[in-house]
Amino acid sequence: MRYVDEYRSRDLARALSVEIAELVDPGQVVRIMEVCGGHTHTIYRHGLEDLLPPEVELVHGPGCPVCVIPMGRVDDAIALSEQPGVTLATFGDMLRVPGGRGSLLEAKARGADVRMVYSPLDALALARKEPDRHVVFFAIGFETTAPATAVTLLRARAEKVSNFGVFCNHVTIEPPLRAILETPGLRLDGFVGPGHVSTVIGTEAYRFVPEEFRRPVVVSAFEPVDILQSIAMLLRQRREGRCEVENQYTRVVRPEGNLRALAAIDETMELRDAFEWRGLGSLPRSALKLRPAFAEWDAEARYPLPGAQIDDPKACQCGEVLTGQIKPWECGVFGTACTPERPLGTCMVSSEGACAAFYAYGRLRRPVKERVGAA
Amino acid sequence: MTVRPERCITCADEAVAARVVLLDGLEATVAVDGRRERVAVDLVPDTRLGDLLLCHAGIALERLEAEP
Repeated sequence: MRYVDEYRSRDLARALSVEIAELVDPGQVVRIMEVCGGHTHTIYRHGLEDLLPPEVELVHGPGCPVCVIPMGRVDDAIALSEQPGVTLATFGDMLRVPGGRGSLLEAKARGADVRMVYSPLDALALARKEPDRHVVFFAIGFETTAPATAVTLLRARAEKVSNFGVFCNHVTIEPPLRAILETPGLRLDGFVGPGHVSTVIGTEAYRFVPEEFRRPVVVSAFEPVDILQSIAMLLRQRREGRCEVENQYTRVVRPEGNLRALAAIDETMELRDAFEWRGLGSLPRSALKLRPAFAEWDAEARYPLPGAQIDDPKACQCGEVLTGQIKPWECGVFGTACTPERPLGTCMVSSEGACAAFYAYGRLRRPVKERVGAA
Repeated sequence: MTVRPERCITCADEAVAARVVLLDGLEATVAVDGRRERVAVDLVPDTRLGDLLLCHAGIALERLEAEP
């Protein structure tokens, strides 16, 4: 059962489109950032921008977990995959992310044992099945994905699986939001908040946005009607002079989040002092590492890693795309040197990346003179 | 879990519910788009047969309310 049809209703979308048009003041542009890459994907895939008045401008945010991983961490994962006896397991999208020394897929082609999994639990199962290998899971993702890694670590400990490890790159959503809100000159009037991160951390976690930065947040689900409704809710707050956190995704998100998931993360992981983000630089207390109690399963403690900081290619403007300063098509290499087949930057790798989503669904909709890559 | 070719696994970005069709301790078998997959239900206590679960990366994150 897909449970989505009611959220793709043409009639509902049309009614919301009319409501949104009534909620803006002519000529006064409202800039709304959708934080999550999943929202970006839906917006382009369903052509939602066509249903919005010119006064509503959508700005794509940093919430694509693949996109924010810096090249140095990819190189660390490649180094891990080259250790004798190591099998490196990770999500499919991570295989294609370019590091300074190419991608994991290229490492695999050179003979490294790199495998694609759908879950860290699959990596643990692989370790049980192949006791002669040391299976390291290259963990990435926001608070949506960290619980799966946490549950896997707790199971590895309970079952005493010693040939399993985690290379932890989980990140948290609050620091990049703060960094964006503190970016000089970036005007944003509100946020469509991430849905599934909020399933874990709850809507209360965003209260700092209205309280400290006077910007409204509406936590949103991912279907077209959901996103249109969230935009309408943001505009209604503005019209009524309110500024608060609202929850559009009530069918699954609670104010306090999933306390068990938070407890599992807290038992297995702790905040790093700082973490390098693609496009945002080093952000304090913005990522997670394994707690000392889980050192036995911590690949960073077990293997020497290069740990180098590698600058993005000069032509790549992922950083500006990730912070909403430019649109994908305004990047100098979009659709030319950087395509989904041969991505230069991370935003073009994952289908959630703003550039990949725009490349797949949006680029032919722009007028020819603006169309990037047009002959 | 809930893998689609056009989608990125790290985000689980669609409100796709998976219905529990088998339950064995902390392992549930769920039906998604005509397929069956196994998910861990460690984080959603009291999962019952027939529940709709929001699943991501092999685990259930939450139970969906019975609406609309």
